[in-house]
Amino acid sequence: MKRNLILLLGVLCATFAMANGQFEKAMGKNIPAMFSADNQETLQGVINQLNRIGDAEGDRWEPYYYAAFGYVRMSGMIESADEKDKYLDLALETVAKGEAVKPNDSELETMRGYINMIKLAVDPASRGMMYSGMVFTSFQKAIKLNPDNPRAHYLMGRMQYGTAQFMGTGTEEACGSLFKAKVLYTQVDQPANPFAPTWGKESTDESIKEICEGE
Amino acid sequence: MKGLLTTTLLFLTCFSYGQVTISGQVADKSGEPLLGVNVYLKGTYDGATTDINGEFSFESYEVDSLILVASYIGFHTSELPIESKSQKLNFILKEEISHLNAVVITAGSFNASDESKREVLKPLDIVTTAGATADIPGALNTLPGTQTVGETGRLFVRGGDGRETKTFIDGMLVHNEYSPSAPNTPGRSRFSPFMFKGTSFSTGGYSAEYGQALSSALVLNSKDVAENDRTDISLMSVGADISTTQSFENSSLAGKVQYTNLTPYFALVSQNLRWNKAPQEYNGNFAYRWKTSKTGMLKVFTNVSQSSMDLYESDIRNPEIDLPVVVSNDYLHFNTSYRELLDDKWGVRTGISFTRSNDFASLDQSSIDQNLSGFHTKVTMDYQHSDRLALVAGAEMIGRSLNQTLNDGESFYQEFDERIGASFVETEMFASSALAFKAGVRVEHNNLNDNIALDPRLSAAYKTGEHSQVSVAYGQFRQAPATQITLSDKASLHEKATHYIANYQWLSEGMSFRVEVYEKKYDQLAKYTNIYDPGTFQFTGGGYARGLDLFWRDSKTVKNLDYWVSYSYLNTEREYKDFPGSYTPSFASNHNFSVVTKKFFDKLKSQVGVTYSFASPRSYNDLNSEGFLNGRTPAYHDLSFNISYLYSSQVIIHAMVNNVLGINNIFGYEYASTPNENGVYASRPITPAAKRFIFLGVFITLSKNKGINQLPNL
Repeated sequence: MKRNLILLLGVLCATFAMANGQFEKAMGKNIPAMFSADNQETLQGVINQLNRIGDAEGDRWEPYYYAAFGYVRMSGMIESADEKDKYLDLALETVAKGEAVKPNDSELETMRGYINMIKLAVDPASRGMMYSGMVFTSFQKAIKLNPDNPRAHYLMGRMQYGTAQFMGTGTEEACGSLFKAKVLYTQVDQPANPFAPTWGKESTDESIKEICEGE
Repeated sequence: MKGLLTTTLLFLTCFSYGQVTISGQVADKSGEPLLGVNVYLKGTYDGATTDINGEFSFESYEVDSLILVASYIGFHTSELPIESKSQKLNFILKEEISHLNAVVITAGSFNASDESKREVLKPLDIVTTAGATADIPGALNTLPGTQTVGETGRLFVRGGDGRETKTFIDGMLVHNEYSPSAPNTPGRSRFSPFMFKGTSFSTGGYSAEYGQALSSALVLNSKDVAENDRTDISLMSVGADISTTQSFENSSLAGKVQYTNLTPYFALVSQNLRWNKAPQEYNGNFAYRWKTSKTGMLKVFTNVSQSSMDLYESDIRNPEIDLPVVVSNDYLHFNTSYRELLDDKWGVRTGISFTRSNDFASLDQSSIDQNLSGFHTKVTMDYQHSDRLALVAGAEMIGRSLNQTLNDGESFYQEFDERIGASFVETEMFASSALAFKAGVRVEHNNLNDNIALDPRLSAAYKTGEHSQVSVAYGQFRQAPATQITLSDKASLHEKATHYIANYQWLSEGMSFRVEVYEKKYDQLAKYTNIYDPGTFQFTGGGYARGLDLFWRDSKTVKNLDYWVSYSYLNTEREYKDFPGSYTPSFASNHNFSVVTKKFFDKLKSQVGVTYSFASPRSYNDLNSEGFLNGRTPAYHDLSFNISYLYSSQVIIHAMVNNVLGINNIFGYEYASTPNENGVYASRPITPAAKRFIFLGVFITLSKNKGINQLPNL
C-alpha cells in the first residue's frame, strides 16, 4: 500500500507541472511577451520559449503561430535586407511546423500571407509581381477556410491598398475589406480557444482612419 | 502520523526533487560565443536563451529529461547528456552549410533567380532589358563574355561560334532553339522568358552534367505549378497571342497560341528587302505541371510552330536581278521531366525531350531541305551525404537523325544518325561554408566515330570576405562539329575545348561587381583537307581565346534606377575550315561594351529602359585584296529604348525602339562567287533589313486575382 502510494506520488511529481496547466500558463506569459518585446535579445528569448513549447507539446499549432509572428517582428527590428530575409524565412518554416500540426488553418494561412507581404516589401521592384500573387492567394485561401477571420480581411485590405497606391487607383476595394474586418472584430465572439489569435483590431481602426476617412 | 509525515515529506521532495540549475556556455568552433541560442531540456519547456557571452542558466524540476539541446540558426543542433547536475555544460556548435551562408562557385556563370539574393540578375531583368525584345539570348547578350553578332542574335561566347552554346530546359537538351529569321535579322529564341523561374547562363567551366557544348550552357528551369487562373491577351504591332492558365489543387495546365505576321509592319516601316510574303508564324505552347507529392514534380511541355517567309534578294553581280528566296520551318519540341526525393538523402531526376525540325530554304533555283529528329533521355541520381558532401551521377542518351537534300538542278541526299551515350559523376564538397570544391567527370561515347572520351571538370570557390569571393574552374568540353561536316564525314572527331577560368566577385545589397579572366584552348577543329574542297576534312585545326570580362551593377545609389555595365576583352584566333593559318574569325570582336539602364517612374507608372551596346570592328574576307580575313567592318553601335506603362493593374502598354539613332551598322561584306570581267569580285555590305525595329503592344490580363498582370512578361 505504502509502496503503491510512493509510486503514485512519484508519477504525480513527474507530471505535476503538466497537470497544473503548464501550457496555459506558459502561453499566457509568452504571447504578451512576444508582442511587447522591444529588443532583439528579449524577442529571441520569447521565440525560443514558444518554440520549446511547440516542440514539447507536439499537437498545438499556437506556439508556432506566435513564434512565427515573433520572427516577423524581429525582421522589423533589422535594417539589412539579407538579415530580414533570414528571419522571414524562419517565420515561414515555423508556420510550416504549425501547419504540420493543423493543416488548412485560416490563421496560419493568413500568417503565411502576412510574412510574404513583408518579404515583398523587402525588395518590391523585383519581388512585387511574384509575391503579390502569392500573398493574395494566401489571403483568399484563408478567407475561404474561415470567412469570419478578421485578420485575413484586415491584411487583405492592406494588400489591396498597397496595390491601389501602386496603380494609382481608388481605395474602395481596400476599404471594403477593412470595414468587413472591423465588423468581424466587434461581432464575432472571442474564440473558444483562448490562445487563438485575437490581434489586429486597433490596427484595423487605424488603417480605416488613415485610408478610408483620411480625406 | 508517521504516514502523514512521509506523505508530506514526499510532497516536499516533489518540489525540491530534481530542481537543479543547468548552466553553461555556447560557442562556435573558433570559440566565439553565440548569442540567442535556444538551450533546453529535450521534450520540455525548460530552457534558456544564451546572452551576449554565450552563457545560459536555468532551473528545472524536470526529472525525465536528461538531454540538453542547443539549437541555433545556421548551426547544427547539438545534444549533450546531463551526467552530473552541478556540472557546467558547454556546447561547441558546428556551422551548418546552407544556401544562405555557403560560398557559391561562380566562375563562368551568371544566374538569375528570384529566390537567392546573391544572384546578380533576376528573371525580370531578362524581360525588361531594352533592346532585348523580351528574348532570353537578347538580354544575355548584354552580359560580359558575349560578342555582339548582330546579324544572328545568337549567343557567341568567348571566341566561340553561336552553335557552341547549347540550351537546356529542365535539364533536357533543345535542338534548333531559334526561330528562323529574315536575312541578317537577329533570330529569336523559341522559348518565351516568362516560362522560366530561373536562368543560368554559363560562359565556361560548367558542370559535367552538360555535354555537347563547347563554349556555353544556357540552363533554363521552368516554373512550377501555377497558383492562379488567368487569361492573357496580347495585341502587338507584329501579331497577337492569347494564353490561359488553369490551376487545380496540385496541378496546372497552360496553353498559348500566337500568330505573328509582319506584313502590316513592313507596309508602314520601309525595309531594305523586297518581300513577297513577310515572315509569318503560328506558334502553340502547352504546359502541364503536376505536384505528384510534397517533393515530386512532373512537368510536360510542348512547343509547336510553323513559320514561313518569301522575299527577293538581288544578285550581287547584277543588282537589278531579283532572286526569289523562300524560307520555311516546321517545329515540334516535346519536353517532359520528373523529379522526386526518395528519402532525405536520395533524389532522382529524369526526363525525355524530343525535337523535330523541318527546314526548307531556297535561293533562286537551288534549295536545301533538312529534317532533324532529335531526342534526349536522362536519369540523374542526387545523393546528399551531409551538408558538406553531395554527389550527382547520371546517364543520358542524346540522339540526332538528320537528313538533307540539296537541290541544284540535280538532287544530292545526305544523312547521319548520331547516338551519343554519356554518363557523368560529380561531387561537391564543402571544407567549410567559405571553401567549396567540385570535381566531376563526363564519359561520352559516340556511335559515328566510335570514340570514347573522358572529360574532367573541376572548380573551387573561396569566400574572402563577407561580400567577396574568388572562384576558379577548369574543364574539358567537346561537341560534334557543324552539321555540314558530320554529313560529309560521319566519323568526324568531336571538337574539343579546354577552359581555365578565374573569377572574383563582390556582392553587396543592390551592388555587384565581378571580374573574370579566362583562357580557352580549341583542339580537333575540322579543317578542309584542301581549302578549295569543303568535302574532306582533317581534324587538326585548333585555336585559342583569352580575355577579361568585367561586370558592374548598381540598383541602390539612385532610387528606382537600376543599371549594369559590361565590358569584355577578347583575343582569339583559330585555324579551321578554309583558314590558311591562324586568324581571328569574323564573328569575334576584341571589345564589347554595353550599358543597360532601367528606371521606374512612380508618377508616370512607367518603367523606362535604355541600352547602349558597342562592339569593336570585326574581320571579313575581302576578296579584292591580298591576304585572308583582312577587311575590317566599322564598329557596331546600338542605342535601344523601351517603355512599359501600367495603364491599370491588368493592362500594360509597351513600346520599344531598337537603334534609335539609326546608325548604319555593317556586319561584314558578301562577295560574288566569281570575279567580273575586270577581275573584281562584286560585293555588298551585310546590314540589318531595316535600320530600326519598332514594337508596340497592349497586354491584357484577365484574372480574379488583381495583383497579377503581364509586367513580368515584358
